[in-house]
Amino acid sequence: MIDSQQATEALADVNDIVRRVRQSQIYHLASLIIIMWGALSFAGYLVTYLSPHYAGYAWIAVYIVGIAGSIAISAFQRSRSGVQTFRVRMLSAFVLFVAFGLFVCWLGHFTPRQLGTFWPIYFMLAYSIAGLWIGPAFVAIGLGVTALTLIGYFFIGDAFDLWMAFVNGGGLILGGLWMRRS
Amino acid sequence: MAELDDIIHQPLRLRIMAALNALPTSVGLEFSKLKKLTGATDGNLGAHIETLSKAGYVAVEKAFVGKKPQTTVTATAVGRGAFARHVATLQEIIAASGGGK
Repeated sequence: MIDSQQATEALADVNDIVRRVRQSQIYHLASLIIIMWGALSFAGYLVTYLSPHYAGYAWIAVYIVGIAGSIAISAFQRSRSGVQTFRVRMLSAFVLFVAFGLFVCWLGHFTPRQLGTFWPIYFMLAYSIAGLWIGPAFVAIGLGVTALTLIGYFFIGDAFDLWMAFVNGGGLILGGLWMRRS
Repeated sequence: MAELDDIIHQPLRLRIMAALNALPTSVGLEFSKLKKLTGATDGNLGAHIETLSKAGYVAVEKAFVGKKPQTTVTATAVGRGAFARHVATLQEIIAASGGGK
């Protein structure tokens, strides 16, 4: 028989492994969603750069496909791994989050360039905050993309949307791939 | 007080069972993922999975994904029960010493 100190250590080991398994499952699911949003953002910014006239339509399409895709990936992963990720509470939080962003944009009368900077930073803020609970990869992706977005806003001239296609879109894709390995 | 499970009690086997038990029933982990999560080496992990498999605590499934062999390990119902009892015993030991308060 073991003593209570050894039992405590064994249970701590169990809890540590359980935490790591859950984090790994969340990373796996999140990486798929992040890669998808990266590809969509890349396309959205590329259309904005090449055909600014169609930018509005492109971004509406990006958001519709992105939200539908996120729900579909979550549902698919749930059927495979049993991990429940999509909840009404989460959807409500997302809607409130976007509504607040729209309110800020309306209040601030942002220029297209400022809008293109605000939304990625706003979403990356949520990533970083979530990462404090979920895992450091989220914080790293959030802060990295935010820094590169700000560099683009202040230092990249007319090619800002092209910069954002690679920084925001490419950054999310690379971040998602990195997350799958971690 | 119930006895600790001798098979699960070994530290690496405890970690393997904890990882598999954290998943929903019938969902397993790939060998490489399990290796990463438990911090074990290939040989060590393989030997302990073999022990757990012989006890009927885990099921091992080997398949090919493309040309790559893939080994998936899943906790059986017997294994889940044994793990739950083992953890309960650990908690009893702590509680008996007043550590759980």
